[in-house]
Amino acid sequence: MERKRVFITGVGVISGIGNDVSSVSESLRELKHGFSAYPPFLDDPLAPVTLVSAPKDFQVDSEDFEDWIYPEKYRVRREVLRGFAPHGLYVYCAMKQAIEDAGLEEGDVSNEETGIYTASSGSTRLLYHNMSRMREVGPMRCSPTGIVSAISGTLSFNLVASFRIQGNSCGFSSACASSGHALGFAYDDIAMGRQNRMFIAAGEDVNYESVVPFTGMRALSLETDPIRASCPFDAKRNGFVCAGGGAVLVLESEEEVLRRGSTPYAELLGWGQASDGHNVAISHPEGHGLIRAIDKACKSTGINAGEIDYINAHATSTLIGDASEGKALEGVFNSNGHRPKISSTKAITGHGLSLASALEASIVSIAMKEGFTPGSAHIQNLDPQFEAFNIIRETESKPPQIALSNSSGFGGANVSLLFKKV
Amino acid sequence: MSDQTTTKREVAGAPVPGSEELLRDTLKRCSAETLEAALAYRKTGDVSLVSVVVLGIVARFLDPDVADKLRSGGDSIEFMTDLGMDSLTMIEAIMMVEESLGVSIKNDELLNLRSVGDLKSFINEKLTGVASEEPKTFYSVDQIASIMPQQSPFLFLSQATVSEHGANGSYLITGQEAFLEGHFKGNPVFPASLMLEALGQLAVFKLIKNPPKEVESTIDSSEIYFTGVDSVRCHRICKPGDTLEMKVQVKRVRDPLAIFSGQITVNGEKAVVTEEITLAFKTEDASASSEESANGLNGGTHSSNGSH
Repeated sequence: MERKRVFITGVGVISGIGNDVSSVSESLRELKHGFSAYPPFLDDPLAPVTLVSAPKDFQVDSEDFEDWIYPEKYRVRREVLRGFAPHGLYVYCAMKQAIEDAGLEEGDVSNEETGIYTASSGSTRLLYHNMSRMREVGPMRCSPTGIVSAISGTLSFNLVASFRIQGNSCGFSSACASSGHALGFAYDDIAMGRQNRMFIAAGEDVNYESVVPFTGMRALSLETDPIRASCPFDAKRNGFVCAGGGAVLVLESEEEVLRRGSTPYAELLGWGQASDGHNVAISHPEGHGLIRAIDKACKSTGINAGEIDYINAHATSTLIGDASEGKALEGVFNSNGHRPKISSTKAITGHGLSLASALEASIVSIAMKEGFTPGSAHIQNLDPQFEAFNIIRETESKPPQIALSNSSGFGGANVSLLFKKV
Repeated sequence: MSDQTTTKREVAGAPVPGSEELLRDTLKRCSAETLEAALAYRKTGDVSLVSVVVLGIVARFLDPDVADKLRSGGDSIEFMTDLGMDSLTMIEAIMMVEESLGVSIKNDELLNLRSVGDLKSFINEKLTGVASEEPKTFYSVDQIASIMPQQSPFLFLSQATVSEHGANGSYLITGQEAFLEGHFKGNPVFPASLMLEALGQLAVFKLIKNPPKEVESTIDSSEIYFTGVDSVRCHRICKPGDTLEMKVQVKRVRDPLAIFSGQITVNGEKAVVTEEITLAFKTEDASASSEESANGLNGGTHSSNGSH
């Protein structure tokens, strides 16, 4: 069976670098970061971390959703809102944007040929709160939506119900590769003709319980200066900054694009994945899994690595992780004489974990449509091991033709996605 | 001194169960009137305040337009059908009632609280220990259809609550009923004779589900027949879109006859009133073995209990 072509026709973003496509685009062109000191960390002497990347205009820290403050234009009904984790609200708003951006009518969203794949790790904060309350007052006095708002399927439960999704639906949970898997399998469903349209919805909380545990892993940068805190490929990088927010992409088959007469952001050519089989939390030092993921993406799409002219790297600003990805890129590209442009937009967005791949797919899509290639910010002293790469420090006003986006998660799960300018 | 320390810690930490602080927090999104009534109830135990608290809590979960309906609708307003609440919202409201008034409501009790009146009288009863109304059990259309001899398209009962002395039920006239095409041409009116039929069906359902104490053996559900109706008055034409709210009450029972009074209202307006509907029934003893003499005291010998 011939594979159908798949296009990205809508994007919605709620993030530290902007709460819509145009402000995200502006931040990318000017390389403005989205970091700020998070007040609850400042109040807690035991929390050594200071910075987060959190969406502005949202106050969703309260365990009581009726306390939440968010932009008036989104107005969520109570019986919808009560099932959300904090990131559920971010993603709901991003979904509204994506639907409008793609020009979808109600009937385009709710039908048998339209599905949704989500990526979220649940809400540790709500789980913790619900369990504490249950111990205090007993289960019969706990919120009836305590489970559906907190466990890791929360995005799927809520979005499928509130947007009346009737097609395929499933939640992905492979840590920082989650939304890469969601995008990949959604691509497959459309390419194979199982669905005409798929939403990919990803999100993460950004609060005490979602962020501080990563300091125990020594994964976060404890810097207070944003430029020093998130600086992928820099010699002094020392960990990442946690990002929360939501990103939603609309994927559609070529027939749907033609039928509706929409102008896509980009074509999603395909994807590849492979696992390190190495360590529970540390990527393979030679980037073995990632090399195979990139190879598979190329092979399945018929793209030669030499045709790729931009790589949106996974690089989160950790010592080991960036080095491992460097080895993989060297193996696939430099050792074969290719020097595509490389940047890590995590320098300004921070690391969105389950959200990361969908946020970066959104960034690549926006860049291709609007005609720029985002730079890699905050590099003051390039780590010598990356000297052979063409890491671009500023945003260039020329779009990539074929772009690769990498994501790697705990356990050594690697996903590579390939995009083509239309 | 140690007492003081304890108190301090409790105030600083989680609110003490039953404390005024917790009550204020629980009711923080309710009207000031609701909170005042709950505080006053705590102090005085005055049961007349209960309905203010209950209504205030329900209103807090509703959109403003629906809240108006609650205020104007009285006790017959149903949470799900009239106010659009789902069962999760019901649980949220019930938890708040429990916390505010210091009662606890079990899952199976929750299922029978369909209307504002149900909830108010239920809470009243919990608090005073005096039943203001007899206990009721709710049945859905599937539960009704599974045991009634009448079936679609001749079943005119889509939900019912049954108690010892009677039953309430309802039926929405959908407009799809085939007979409306001819009754009347171009002017669909639900026939008065079928309204009596509907009341009769509700009475049949009551006999099957909650047989009168006077009947000592099991009533055979396939052997209940309509024998008479007295003093019928029709007050209102009923059309598609109207919901017939039916009520029958047991007047007297003398094997093999059961006599009910009945009435139908639509949106609170009287539609049909009848002083007597008479049903004739057979008990399973009588229909299974009429040649064996049954002296009335052997009702328990057949092991068919629960077959309904």
